[in-house]
Amino acid sequence: MNQPISSHFNPFRVLLAYACCIAFSLVASAQAAEADLSGSARGLTLDVYSRLSPLEINRIHSWEVVVSDAEGPVTDAEIIITGGMPEHNHGMPTQPQITAELAPGRYLLEGVRFHMPGLWRMEARITRDGRPITLTIDFEL
Amino acid sequence: MNRLARVALVLAVVAASAAATWHFVSFPSASTWNEEELRLIASLSLDALPDLLPDPSNAKGDDPAAAQLGHSLYFDTRLSANGAVACATCHRPELMFTDGLTLAIGAGVGNRHTPSLVGLSHSPWFYWDGRKDSQWAQALAPLEAKHEHAITRSDLARLISSDADYRSAYIDTFGPLPTFDIPAAASPTGDAAERARWSALTAQQRSDIDTLFSNLGKALAAYQRKLMPGAARFDNYAAALAASGSAERDQGDALSAEERRGLQLFIDKGMCVTCHNGPLFTNHEFHNTGVLANPGELPPMARYDGVRSAREDPFNCLGEFSDADPDQCIELRFARDTNDLVGAHKTPTLRNVALTAPYMHGGQISDLAAVMRHYNEAPTSMLSHNEAKPLNLRPPELRALEAFMHTLTAPLATDPRWLRSPE
Repeated sequence: MNQPISSHFNPFRVLLAYACCIAFSLVASAQAAEADLSGSARGLTLDVYSRLSPLEINRIHSWEVVVSDAEGPVTDAEIIITGGMPEHNHGMPTQPQITAELAPGRYLLEGVRFHMPGLWRMEARITRDGRPITLTIDFEL
Repeated sequence: MNRLARVALVLAVVAASAAATWHFVSFPSASTWNEEELRLIASLSLDALPDLLPDPSNAKGDDPAAAQLGHSLYFDTRLSANGAVACATCHRPELMFTDGLTLAIGAGVGNRHTPSLVGLSHSPWFYWDGRKDSQWAQALAPLEAKHEHAITRSDLARLISSDADYRSAYIDTFGPLPTFDIPAAASPTGDAAERARWSALTAQQRSDIDTLFSNLGKALAAYQRKLMPGAARFDNYAAALAASGSAERDQGDALSAEERRGLQLFIDKGMCVTCHNGPLFTNHEFHNTGVLANPGELPPMARYDGVRSAREDPFNCLGEFSDADPDQCIELRFARDTNDLVGAHKTPTLRNVALTAPYMHGGQISDLAAVMRHYNEAPTSMLSHNEAKPLNLRPPELRALEAFMHTLTAPLATDPRWLRSPE
């Protein structure tokens, strides 16, 4: 004999599941919203936090870039970041440089400026233990 | 008429019709803008122009007294060796601060076309080749250039010290004047005699004159920061489009159908917006677009040399006459200097472009129709490579682009008192 559905219905359990869903999505969206841009390659992740947000053309600004691997922040990394527009075959109008490590694995990139709308590609060349790893990040402006 | 003749006639009529269509008929465009087009149109509107940021290298950049002093200096022909050349001689207010000439004429004939000053304060770089990194440092060079004002910094210091009005305006704005007997005609950039007189001064005396000289540049920059473009028909169209909340291209009388087709080409197939972007229709950057050098001139290295000159300029953001902390000189510290800047000149604003013929860094192209043909063909560059690619636009499309240029004309958003001599 079929049990009435209502006998299985536990409002507290549903509420708990609902709260869990909301908490999970909040955490997920907070994480997603935090980094303006991200890229990863060969176990390394690079998250970009722009000090000019949202990103726009023709304004020079700085980025904070966070480099991490499975074990956490990657400190004392040698990082060279270049950028350009693959569809136009040219680079950035500036030569940005890492000028400080603000916190373990968190680096200051100064001199970032974009001068055209369209698809931009940033390449970060990170040297660890003498081995270079290149990460690529594409985005539209 | 025999059959062969009839066939030939029909073929001739078809060919003539095709040619006429190619040259004269505009194909209908979509009735609405897509999301990306709407975003680009809004980005070009003057409503999107950010407030003018302070220039950290010029502590008096937004000082009203400095602007007033700069206003007087700007129109004063005594700031020249022959008493006939002022800043306003070439940067004429009635021509949107250009001169209508191919090459500038001051004390002599220059080698560059006079660019407009309107909205220029928003740019991080000055001169066609970007050899100056601030508007005040830029203002100094023409004063001593032999083909422009041809005066020396010591003569300028003597003028400011001896003229009662300048003397009090200067002291009120910048502080004390040099207290020693300033020699006539002394400058480190002049002829041999002028350089010798400069060398005879003590280091402190040279520094005192240079401080005064740089302050004159700062006053001239404070004045030029007032020169801003006003809303044109294009801006009214962008505003009507935004206010309507629709994507309908036809917004009544704001822009004609041909002008709207020009706008479409500007942001799309013409690729103009690649460099002429933002509310001032310039990215303030440097590009090689295959413009021929002026007759008799070798193709210039342009920005490749310009960025190096800016780094060596004693009046740059990092120099002793700058009011900025080195940390604030971001453009200069991180400027690109790579080989692709050979032959690259600065993108000029297109605001009021219909009033500022001729065009290009040497005034090489006489009118807007010829400019459109130049970009349509994208000729090979004499030095390095032309970044532009041939557009293959049809004549009616080029005319539509030209028509769109005329929608960017408007009186300046500047109090008219700044546009005439203060006398």
